[in-house]
Amino acid sequence: MPFNKPVPKAGAAINELEIGVGAGAIKLGGENVLPFYVFDGEIKNAPKIGIEVSDLPFEDAPDGIKAFYAGTNSVAERVVKAASAEGADFVCLRFESADPNGADTSEDECARIAKEAADALGDSKALVIIGSKNADKDAKLFDKVAAALTDKNVLFVSAKEENYKTVAASVGLAYNQKVAAESAVDINLAKQLNVLINQMGVQNQNIVMNIGSASAGYGFEYVISTMDRIKSAAMNQNDTTLQMPIFTPISTETWGVKESISEESEMPTWGSREARGIDMEVMTAVSVLASGSNAVMLRHPTSVATVSALIKALV
Amino acid sequence: MAKFITIGERIHCISPVIREAMNTKTPEPILKRAKEQLDAGASYLDVNIGPAENNGPELMQWAVKLIQENFDNVPLALDTANRSAIEAGIQVYNRAKGKPIVNSADAGDRIENIDLAAANDAIAIALCSREGVPGSVEERQGFCMELLERGLSLGMDSDDLWFDPLFLVIKGMQDKQKEVLETIAWFAEQGFKSTGGLSNVSNGMPKHIRPIMDSIMVSMAIQAGLTSAIVNPCDTRLMEAVKSADIINNETLYADSYLEI
Repeated sequence: MPFNKPVPKAGAAINELEIGVGAGAIKLGGENVLPFYVFDGEIKNAPKIGIEVSDLPFEDAPDGIKAFYAGTNSVAERVVKAASAEGADFVCLRFESADPNGADTSEDECARIAKEAADALGDSKALVIIGSKNADKDAKLFDKVAAALTDKNVLFVSAKEENYKTVAASVGLAYNQKVAAESAVDINLAKQLNVLINQMGVQNQNIVMNIGSASAGYGFEYVISTMDRIKSAAMNQNDTTLQMPIFTPISTETWGVKESISEESEMPTWGSREARGIDMEVMTAVSVLASGSNAVMLRHPTSVATVSALIKALV
Repeated sequence: MAKFITIGERIHCISPVIREAMNTKTPEPILKRAKEQLDAGASYLDVNIGPAENNGPELMQWAVKLIQENFDNVPLALDTANRSAIEAGIQVYNRAKGKPIVNSADAGDRIENIDLAAANDAIAIALCSREGVPGSVEERQGFCMELLERGLSLGMDSDDLWFDPLFLVIKGMQDKQKEVLETIAWFAEQGFKSTGGLSNVSNGMPKHIRPIMDSIMVSMAIQAGLTSAIVNPCDTRLMEAVKSADIINNETLYADSYLEI
């Protein structure tokens, strides 16, 4: 009997969302097949990689990162340098210093820095703004930065349960930018936040999901099963409240675990700290891409190039 | 399995407002009822134009175009005893959001509505009765097989036959309710889709009782395997039951706002 390859019924599609303007604009989502299932149908837009730049200097960074950014003297210069990394599709500017428990940089200063960086970057690459992890501060910060970057079509990461009303109203409605809805590996909250942000008037087509992440090995199976269930609801059950592309910050998770921070002097049998950090970042990124992330954020230029090469080989 | 399908029953010429709107071709009352039902979560809308002996085809075409053009090609059930009106309606029907439903065929005088659905690639509601109320589960099964064979012989997919067990009024036929549920369970065992005029069960009951009875009946019927029902989607309690059943059956992912979407 001849073998007939079963052709799965095409599912509903993930929304296609554009960030950035001009030559550097990128599209996320749009596919109606499972991740990398090129044999089932076209992957409309290959997954994209963002390179993370903090507004703080890289004091504790591995040598490779320091070397890459050598000679840069401002956030704007680092952003431009990051954009040149091989395989980087967009740049994630992270306002780490805005944290009230840290340097507590004012939102006005952040907006000034963001504007300077965006102007230096021009239309060459899309920009994503990452908050300080403090919900109250981020609401204020995003409002000022969104106002400073009008017409740049920027994605803001993220609106959370604690601040979604303010963030959706300013970023999504007043300044018509893109909003990421963040939940911490909680599938029901992921859906709920999308519904709530949409009920405020932000179109589903302008929402990205950040469903949370973990470093590989650190409760990671919950991340994977959450992504699987979301993609299944979006495509097989045509759940329009879950058809947003998924953006997953990887670097902020993986560069904080012991595999990436223990020095070789403390753990001689583990080998080079930098190599371990890159491995953790690459492994985690590839796993979430295989589970449905449409974009990831990575820090090390080598990780960016490695994951980019993998995506190019598969899609 | 899939999400439970609700067919909104409120565009019906038995309502004086709708009858008048159909007589005078006044869009507003029809559009208003369509919107209310869709906002309440109806998947399909039933369009009942009555016997429409004089102007059936023209009236059905007007109604189909009116509703689909105003509501993003919402899928419709075309409901009339006038066969040429159903055919005319299908000619102008837009399938972007789903096939048209022929409402309805039975194992008696209206069996040719199966042929009509087959010829037009439509879904048919197949009422498992001939004349009057079927006497037993077995009788319903017999009618079901008759309707199925006719559909299959004409090239229909069994998924396009939605079998109706014939919901019966509790006040008067209380002893028949279990038969209806058993018939639904048998449909589900065969893998058949099913639907029916669910609110029949509460006919004649006080207004405040009907939503209670209908919502419990729909829950029990869904558990038995019912895949769709013709209902009043503006009945909040009923829709709460349907949406909650979809959650419990894992057909839709839970979120705190699930009743609002």
